[in-house]
Amino acid sequence: MLQVKNITKYYGDYKAVDNLSFEVKDGEIFGLLGENGAGKTTTFRIILGLLEQTEGEVLLDGKHIDYSLTDKIGYVTEERSLLTKMTVKEQILFYGILKGMKEEKIEKELKKWLHDFEIEDYENRKIKELSKGNQQKIQFISAVIHHPKLLILDEPFTGLDPINVELMKKAIYQLQKEGCSIIFSSHQMEHIENFCEKLIILVKGKAIVDGYVKDVKKEYKKKNVALRGEKLPLEEIKKIKGVLSVEKQKEEYIVKIEDETIAPKIFNKVKTCNITKYDVEEPTLNEIFIAKVGEVRE
Amino acid sequence: MSKKFWYLVKQSLGKKIKSKWFIGVNIMLLLVIIALININSIISFFGGDFNESTKVYVIDQTEISYPIFKSSMDTMMKQEEEKIVIKESKKEEKELKKNLKDNEVAIIFENSQDNYVQTKLISKEKINNTTYQYLMQGLNATKTSVALVKTNTSPELLQKISSPMEIERIVLSEEKSVDENMEMVMTTLFPTVILPFFMLIIFLVQMIGGEICEEKTTKSMEIIISNVSPKVHLLSKVVASNVFILLQGLLLVIYSVIGILISTKGKLIIDPSIDTLLNAAATSGFTDKLLTLLPAILVMMILSFLAYSLVAGILAAMTTNMEDFNQLQTPIMLVLLAGYYLAIMAGMFEGSIFIRILSYVPFLSCLVAPSLYIIGETTMLDVFISIIVLIITIIILAKYGLKVYKVGILNYSNDKLWHRLGKAIKSKEV
Repeated sequence: MLQVKNITKYYGDYKAVDNLSFEVKDGEIFGLLGENGAGKTTTFRIILGLLEQTEGEVLLDGKHIDYSLTDKIGYVTEERSLLTKMTVKEQILFYGILKGMKEEKIEKELKKWLHDFEIEDYENRKIKELSKGNQQKIQFISAVIHHPKLLILDEPFTGLDPINVELMKKAIYQLQKEGCSIIFSSHQMEHIENFCEKLIILVKGKAIVDGYVKDVKKEYKKKNVALRGEKLPLEEIKKIKGVLSVEKQKEEYIVKIEDETIAPKIFNKVKTCNITKYDVEEPTLNEIFIAKVGEVRE
Repeated sequence: MSKKFWYLVKQSLGKKIKSKWFIGVNIMLLLVIIALININSIISFFGGDFNESTKVYVIDQTEISYPIFKSSMDTMMKQEEEKIVIKESKKEEKELKKNLKDNEVAIIFENSQDNYVQTKLISKEKINNTTYQYLMQGLNATKTSVALVKTNTSPELLQKISSPMEIERIVLSEEKSVDENMEMVMTTLFPTVILPFFMLIIFLVQMIGGEICEEKTTKSMEIIISNVSPKVHLLSKVVASNVFILLQGLLLVIYSVIGILISTKGKLIIDPSIDTLLNAAATSGFTDKLLTLLPAILVMMILSFLAYSLVAGILAAMTTNMEDFNQLQTPIMLVLLAGYYLAIMAGMFEGSIFIRILSYVPFLSCLVAPSLYIIGETTMLDVFISIIVLIITIIILAKYGLKVYKVGILNYSNDKLWHRLGKAIKSKEV
């Protein structure tokens, strides 16, 4: 289990991380969100022991993280961190040995992973000759070849097509089953919604949202009402107190409301129309993110 | 951790040695060294000849000039490499002129009322400048001797007059005792001795800087540093690059031996022209000084390699792209170049305190200090001071530079390179 306790990090006078705390249990996938420069990379670097926090502590299975523990951590960086002149095998051997693995074990694991990702033929290809998607797969393999106890994934799906995203998701779920604690960071909110049980949204190094995804969504009062039908009284709906906006999205209208109590009032207006859809939906994580980050900025 | 350290060293060294660059450069070096050692044969193959002698045919109408001229020229040719063969000709001037070839010169000594003897110097084309200078010296000496004979000077007196001055050379300062020929040796032999060292430092800087820059620009540095500490990483690069250049140095020696073996058709003997230079070096005391200094030079070389690799590694940690890396190489190269020229021109700065101080300056000392010692400008004590200063510099670089390195390798800011370096030095983590 990873425990991040009240960490603060200053760069000179600039506070990059502000009293951040969270826990990632074994087999849990945790989302760390934030706009660019919010402090995600600094947090990752502190967890990896690359940077020393100004205050607070980071524990993995109850122990302070140092170079005796980093062999248990895997890290997929946001930008590709591969030595492109190497072949796939050389690269994985290089990172694997740095993780304390034996050469034979790495070769065995590599064959399995290349098979799982359907790129067995690329073992002796130079990394620079691979497509971006395949390079991303190699980067992922290099981070998990040693079956880490803690895996940090910073934008792991970059450059992957939907089929390969599914392959990688499958691999991540497999690691989760093995009891690996996973920290996941992405700007694609749908991935966070699908993947993570818990999340934190960082703004200027401070956690402004923290908790289980379902609770975060529930606690966020604003809802969306999706409507589809003929001759909808849109102008009347807009006049209802508590209706924030009405937007057309393809064949339907999305009515944003302040809270759930407004939904029946909308229903009363449309019930006599020929409606084919009326659905009170929870807001997307994307909406919550934009709204919360916006609030702090204001 | 030591297992990972040695793996990094092995990996770094293997990558360099297996690289196309290394193989290409070494093939080129092998060919260049063999070609330089065998330059005479190559020139002969293409129709030229370094060893081709100039034949000088002498028609002596004075009946006394030829033996004097021949004796004078032979004495000069024993000391110098220039090959001029003097032969007396019984032919008529007209016939000699008609049959004169490209590398042949005709000299006709004639009696003169006013000047005792006068000469015609005939050649098909322009005579090479060095040959011309030798001939002039020989002719002038001949005129003096002919004049002395014609004025009835006895052969004994003539011998005494024309023999060189006997000089007993006494230098009062024992420590600085040195032959005046040393300057000549320094300008010809010393640049050859330090050139490989100069080249190896360039290889060293390029290797360590290039590798760190590559790891940083590809962002693989974050993965590496999350597994081994920056200290282990930097030291592995320093060790790998130093082993690499020692290996490269050894290869240069092997290439030279191969060149000599080819030149001498399998026998490890030194070319007579190089032998002459080595003899001059031995006579002037250069070789003795170099051998006395050898242990100190070796220590200084290894320490300088360490210092240069540390600086190159620390500066490379601040780079974010290859352009930065090229920028950072420039000052290192300038310092190195300054050291090289100061070393070969050290004789020009006789008695200068400034150059003596420069011989203590790390990064310059490895080139300047041995040079000043050999020409007798400094003593062994000065060389030891240079070594101590170098050791202190390495300790400081290791202590503070490592902290800058730690900050630098994770710094990807867009500030200018030197600004980033300044920030890293001022950083609280340093």
